[in-house]
Amino acid sequence: MTVSSGTPPSLFERLVGRGRPDRPDRPDHNVVVLHDVTMRYPNGKEALREVDLVVPEGDFVFLVGPSGAGKSTLMKLLIRDELATRGDVLVDGHDLARIPRRMVPKVRRKIGIVFQDFKLLPRKTVWENVAFALEVTGSSRRTIRPAVNRVLALVGLTAQADQTPTQLSGGEQQRTAIARALVHDPRLIIADEPTGNLDPVISWEIIQLLLRINELGVTILMGTHDAEVVTALRKRVVALEDGRVIRDETGATYHRED
Amino acid sequence: MITFVAFSLRRAWQGFWRNALMSLAATLTMVLMLLLLAGFFVLQNVLLASLSFVEQKVEVVAYVENTATQEQVEALVAKIDGMPESASVEFVSREEALRRFREAQEAQGREDLTKYLEANPLYASINIKLRAPGDLDAVAGAVRDEAIVRNVLNIEALVERVVTVTSFVRTAGVAMVAVVGLIVLFIIVNTIRLAVVARAEEIEIMRLVGASDAFIRWPFVFEGALVGLLGSLVALGLLVAAADPLSAAMVGFFNVLPLQFGSLGRDTAMIVLGTGLGLGVLGSWLSVRTYLIR
Repeated sequence: MTVSSGTPPSLFERLVGRGRPDRPDRPDHNVVVLHDVTMRYPNGKEALREVDLVVPEGDFVFLVGPSGAGKSTLMKLLIRDELATRGDVLVDGHDLARIPRRMVPKVRRKIGIVFQDFKLLPRKTVWENVAFALEVTGSSRRTIRPAVNRVLALVGLTAQADQTPTQLSGGEQQRTAIARALVHDPRLIIADEPTGNLDPVISWEIIQLLLRINELGVTILMGTHDAEVVTALRKRVVALEDGRVIRDETGATYHRED
Repeated sequence: MITFVAFSLRRAWQGFWRNALMSLAATLTMVLMLLLLAGFFVLQNVLLASLSFVEQKVEVVAYVENTATQEQVEALVAKIDGMPESASVEFVSREEALRRFREAQEAQGREDLTKYLEANPLYASINIKLRAPGDLDAVAGAVRDEAIVRNVLNIEALVERVVTVTSFVRTAGVAMVAVVGLIVLFIIVNTIRLAVVARAEEIEIMRLVGASDAFIRWPFVFEGALVGLLGSLVALGLLVAAADPLSAAMVGFFNVLPLQFGSLGRDTAMIVLGTGLGLGVLGSWLSVRTYLIR
C-alpha cells in the first residue's frame, strides 16, 4: 500500500520502506514493519502466525479482532517486551531482535503507550506523572518543565496539573496517560483499547485527541473493540483472527463489507 | 554521572517517604534482625571466652622427688619455662602444698586430719599451664622423663574429654551464628522484596516509557541502602544503650571469668553496619533484577 510506482516492491524495499509520495521531506519512513512474524509462547500457544504488517509514518491504524486474536501480543512485540519466535520486527528502522539490550530503552522512547487502565501513579500529580517519563529517562530538569507544560496544554489539562489521578474523571486520566505517552516526542503511539473503560461521549473526546495528535504527524496504532468508532472514521483497519491478519484495508469499517 | 547519582538519591529519598509504611516496616524488620544477629554474635564471643577459660584450667602436675635439690628444681622450672607449649610454670613446695590442702579442707568444712600426721606426706610439684590443652601429651611425656620427677598426674583421659567438649561447643557456636545469619539474610531480603513488589506498577511504567535499567535499578538500590543504614544505626543505638547494664550483669554473672571484650564492641558495630547496608543493597538489587530481565 506504500508503493507508488508500477513495479512490485522487493523484500528490502518492503522492510525499509519506500517512502511516502506525499511527504518528500521524509523519504524512507515505515515506523512499523513486521515481516513473516510468528510468536509462539513457551506453553506452545501460537499467538501470531506469519504476520506481515507495514505502517508508514503518519498512518492511523485500527487493530481489531476478538480477544485472544493476538492484538496484545503484537503490541508487546513492538515494545520488545517479547521477542518474536520467527520473522522480523522493525520499529523506526531498528530490528528489535538484533539491537543490543542497552538500546531497548532508547527504542521504547520512540513509542508512547496508552492502556485501557491508564497506569498512572496514584500518589503523583498529573504534572508529576507526565514529568516522570522524562525524569526516569535522564532528561535534565530544565528541559522537563517546558516539555510537560506543552503536552499538558495539548491534551487540555493545564488547569488540572496539580491534581492527583483520583481527583480526575476517567477521560481526564486517559488524557494524562496520553500526555505522558507524548512527552518523549514519539514516532508512534500504541493505544491498547484506550476507550475500553470510558463512556461513549468521553470515548469520542479521546478519539478526537488521538486524531489531532495524528495530524501532528505521530503514527497511531490503536487496538479496539469499538465498532462504532472504527466504522465512523473510515481509517485503515487491520483485523486479526487466531493470530493471522485476515483483513488489511484502508478506509474500512469494523466488520467486513461484502 | 553526577546528575544520575543525584537523581537516584533523590528518587530513593522520595521512594522511602512516599511509601513510608512499607519503608518503616522494612526498617523495623531490619532493626530486629540486626539485633538478633548482634545478640548471637556477642553470645558466641562470650562462649569462646568461657571455653578458653576452661581450657586454661588444664595443667600438667609433675611431682618432684623429695631428694631433689633447689638447683635441680630451678633448672627444671627454667627448662619448662622455655618450652613453647607452656604458658606458665609454678613450683609448689611441700609446705605450700600442705598449706593449700589444709585451706581446701577448711573451705569445705572438713576436719583437718593432717594434724595427726607426724610428717608432711605431700610431695612438691611443678604445675605447668599449657597454651593449648592438646599439647598435654607432649609436655607430660617430656617432664615424665626427668630424673627428679617422681611421677606426672595422669589426666589425659579427662583432658581428652574437655577438648572434645570444647571443640564441639565451638563448632556448634559457629554453626548457630551461621544459621542465624542465614535466617537474617532471608528475612531481610524478602522484606525488601515485598517493598519493591509493592511498587511493581511504578517499575512497569518506568520500563514502558523507556527508562534504562540503571535508572530503574539504582534508586531502589540506594533506597535499600537507606533502609539498611537507618536500620543498623537504630540497632546500634539500642545496643549501645543496652551495653552497660548488660556487661555489668555479665561481669556479675561470670565473676570469675577474665573476659576481655576490647575489640568486641567494634566488631559488633562493623557486623551490624555491614550486614544492614549489605543486605539492604543486595535485597533491592535482587528484587529489581526480576523486573529487568526479559
